[in-house]
Amino acid sequence: MNTARRKRHGAGAAALLPALLLLLAPGLPGTALGEETFTAQRERMVSRDIAQRGIRDPAVLAAMRTAPRHEFVPDVRQRQAYDDNPLPIGYGQTISQPYIVAYMTELLRLEPGMRALEIGTGSGYQAAVLAEILDEVYSIEIIPELARWGEANLRRAGYEAVQVRQADGYHGWDEHGPFDAIVVTAAADHVPPPLIAQLKDGGRMVIPVGSPFRTQVLMLVTRHGEEVRTQSLLPVRFVPLTRAAE
Amino acid sequence: MNRLPLAVGLTSAAVIAFQLVIMQLLSIAQWHHFAYMVISMALLGFGAAGTLLALFRTQFERHYATLLPALFAGCALAMAATAWLVGLAGDFDAFLLFFDAGQFGLLAFSYLAWSLPFFCAGLAITLAFHCEVQRIGVLYCANMAGSGAGALLVIGLLWLVPAERLAGLLALLPLAAAWLAQPAGRSSRIAATAGLAILAVALASLAWPAMPSPSQYKDISAALLLPGAEITHTVSSPHGRLEVVQADALRFAPSLSLNFRGEPPTRPVVFSDGDYLGTLLGPGMAGERHLLDHTTRALPYALRRPARVVVLEAATGTEVSLALAQGATEVHAVEPNRQLNRLLRDHHPEWLDGLYLDPRVALQGSSARAWLARPATPELDLVVLPVLGSFGGSSGEQALREHYHLTLEAFSRMWELLSPDGLIAVTLWHEEPPRAILRLLSSWRAVLATQDAGTPLEHVVAVRSWGTTTLLLGKRPFDAADRAGLRTFAADWGFDPLILADLESRERDHFNRITDPLLFAAIDTLLDGDARQFLRDYPFDLRPATDDRPFFARFMQWHRLGELRATFGLRQLPYLELGFVLAGVTLVQITLAAVALIVLPLARSGWQGTRRRWTLLYFSSLGLGFMSLEIVLIHRMLLYLDQPVYATGAVLATLLVASGAGSLASARLAADARHLAGTGLAVAGLVMLYSLGLSLLLAASMGWPLALKAVAAAVLLAPPAFFMGMMFPLGLRRLAGREAPQVPWACAIDSCLSVAATAIATLIALDAGFQAVMWLAGLAYLVAALSGPRLGTLEVGAPMGQNPRQ
Repeated sequence: MNTARRKRHGAGAAALLPALLLLLAPGLPGTALGEETFTAQRERMVSRDIAQRGIRDPAVLAAMRTAPRHEFVPDVRQRQAYDDNPLPIGYGQTISQPYIVAYMTELLRLEPGMRALEIGTGSGYQAAVLAEILDEVYSIEIIPELARWGEANLRRAGYEAVQVRQADGYHGWDEHGPFDAIVVTAAADHVPPPLIAQLKDGGRMVIPVGSPFRTQVLMLVTRHGEEVRTQSLLPVRFVPLTRAAE
Repeated sequence: MNRLPLAVGLTSAAVIAFQLVIMQLLSIAQWHHFAYMVISMALLGFGAAGTLLALFRTQFERHYATLLPALFAGCALAMAATAWLVGLAGDFDAFLLFFDAGQFGLLAFSYLAWSLPFFCAGLAITLAFHCEVQRIGVLYCANMAGSGAGALLVIGLLWLVPAERLAGLLALLPLAAAWLAQPAGRSSRIAATAGLAILAVALASLAWPAMPSPSQYKDISAALLLPGAEITHTVSSPHGRLEVVQADALRFAPSLSLNFRGEPPTRPVVFSDGDYLGTLLGPGMAGERHLLDHTTRALPYALRRPARVVVLEAATGTEVSLALAQGATEVHAVEPNRQLNRLLRDHHPEWLDGLYLDPRVALQGSSARAWLARPATPELDLVVLPVLGSFGGSSGEQALREHYHLTLEAFSRMWELLSPDGLIAVTLWHEEPPRAILRLLSSWRAVLATQDAGTPLEHVVAVRSWGTTTLLLGKRPFDAADRAGLRTFAADWGFDPLILADLESRERDHFNRITDPLLFAAIDTLLDGDARQFLRDYPFDLRPATDDRPFFARFMQWHRLGELRATFGLRQLPYLELGFVLAGVTLVQITLAAVALIVLPLARSGWQGTRRRWTLLYFSSLGLGFMSLEIVLIHRMLLYLDQPVYATGAVLATLLVASGAGSLASARLAADARHLAGTGLAVAGLVMLYSLGLSLLLAASMGWPLALKAVAAAVLLAPPAFFMGMMFPLGLRRLAGREAPQVPWACAIDSCLSVAATAIATLIALDAGFQAVMWLAGLAYLVAALSGPRLGTLEVGAPMGQNPRQ
């Protein structure tokens, strides 16, 4: 092998090592982006992924324009914060896709003066969006590490009024109930009876059902006196599933 | 080296046992389909060994005496240390594979790391065959017998030792092989030191085993994050790992009625390989009623009063306790996991408050189909099948699993066993888009048609809550009293009637509305419309599962992927059916790697003038044919021999030992065109015969006692395996006469195609059924019969190679 070829091979091997390391890296650290960039990304997110897909409530659109989603994702995911995707936040949990957050918030039909409870603080982003519209937002997270992280995210982003509690969300937050709106982002395979009890007559509860990485159905629970009704909603308008039109 | 056959046998046993051990470890850490994908790639280590030997044959021959024990020792070291090595790279998570690019790097590293033990073992054994060709009969027999023994050994060991500790224990076998393979009088201090060092690693691995980190998306990971959660009991067996988790926040209330105002009980949960298996509910009373009375599962009891009930795949007995609470006088709990049964009935009956000691309950450690096939099975008032799906829908991880209790044949047998008032009950979690419920209805429609029993609308009713739907298939049409009972039950608990002969559309979503009308329209069409047209149009495969194609949870189809992509988007597509997508990915990966490994030696040797095309054709056919047939026979016997774990071990052992016997017998035959063609035709003929008659034979003897069925299975398996075992050595001897340098290449081809065949056979079986896989195997052996005579022309003693089909 001549020297030139050997050198070329050597350079190839040297280039290969970082490439391999790159492959093995779980994710690239998010290079610090400026606030202006994030603001622009947020604006684009709202116009492209939220408003254009049917979210009309001005309060929800304003909240999505304001809440700094990049403050609620792990550092390594900041570059993807405004993509139209859910993102893993560890502990088997995710921060929901921006459109889903907006759609869930719109379903609650929030008005100033209402009181909202969130079960499953997670990253704190949903609570932040609620707090852009309401003054009274309560959030419960059962996993201690997530409760600490979610609360820290909220405080860092300036949402001082949101009350976060590390507890079993099954019991709700009786002292502050009843609630006009409840969001159960950490859905279990049952709707806890105490949450139904803490929902005001005419109140609305939203539960996302299904893996965040695939088709999700949103379940809207409404209470009319003692009668409780549900409605399953498909947030994404799929093209018809059958070829009957052919 | 007189001890070489023993060395080969020990290593062969260790390799197959190790393969089954890491299958269990990876299933615990991730999911079954991921384990399948990694192991398929790791087994290509055998192919890589043949390729390397083909490339550097003379160098290996020159250092044979030193290399052989070193390779056995290398295999031991790799077995003991690979789990640690994989852990060093970081936590891989199959669930994030299509989401996080970094996971692909971790996956590639997993492939390489897990292939090391197979590569070292493959190279050592192939080298031994190559260089000790005069004793090939004994060596190959040791190889086969060792592999067969390993398949049985590991089942015994898994009862005694947790899987993660077994890697260190099994590593002692190739280490012993390294010691046995040392040249007499040439043991050196370096070799002794290395041996002791590897022994230390193996013992360390045994004492402090490395366990792959479980995915954060496994059920057990979520449970363990709850405050105060702890694993209170762990037990391992060939059935997998059972873990009991206790936490104050673990409540059992699946799809509970929103009208329920009580307190759901906090109960421990049993996980199997990290997946939810069941809650230890016990008698399950919530006040005066059973907890499940407040779910759609209570529907059969609201309509009729079943006295004699069978609960299939009873798991932790929640449905059993419901049946007892509803007044059943005889409940058969059928659960194939005998480890679980022993725990709940014999060792810790208090976990279920003595539920399985109740004289009204008969717990049967049997598969659903074997129990249903028993001649003594009583007439039944209610057959309860396990709940399908999970809250929020599954991610399709069940797509590659066989569900023999949900096939047309299974439903037909249940129908035969029903009393005149009898019911079959199935509860499903809702999923989007709807698939399982539609396949179930298409299956029941087909059953009713074959039984000439009436229209589906007369015999099927269903009720829907916010989370689940329970469907009933009745032996007699549901009458006015049944319909009234259903309506009352639904109104009491806030459920909606979904299927009922006189249903009005406004009744369907009074309590639980759905905005997408697709489900209702699809159900109406399947029950009382042009079902054939609907099944053709729907983008998912909804044909009923059959014993030949028992994959009830597989709905995706390759030719409709474009439509699904347009509907759901590329990123979401894998999560609709992860198992199916990973099966496709596995095939692509294996094909690319196999082609590379087969073509690589040609870069040095060239292609022209050496009859290589016949070598390629013959050994490709053998690899493809052997493995395809092995897969089909294992699946056929899984259904036949009741216990999946033991059935797999017994079938593997029988096939390998019979193949070894065939190999020994082949030494007495000349490797001439007549014998090559004759043996190939014999296998092809037997395969075709089996494709026509095996299912009938097995069905006819399904009710026999297990011991008799085991003998019947051995008698049926041995003849084709015997002839199949002859073809590889005959081919190699034929080839070695003129083209000896091609021998390692032939081994590589056979190994690569054997591995590829697992992926090919799986995908064909998913879509076209096992019968089609059997035809593929028959065709492969026909091609081998035709191409064999064109291999090299002179016969001398010649080597054969190790291949991963063991």
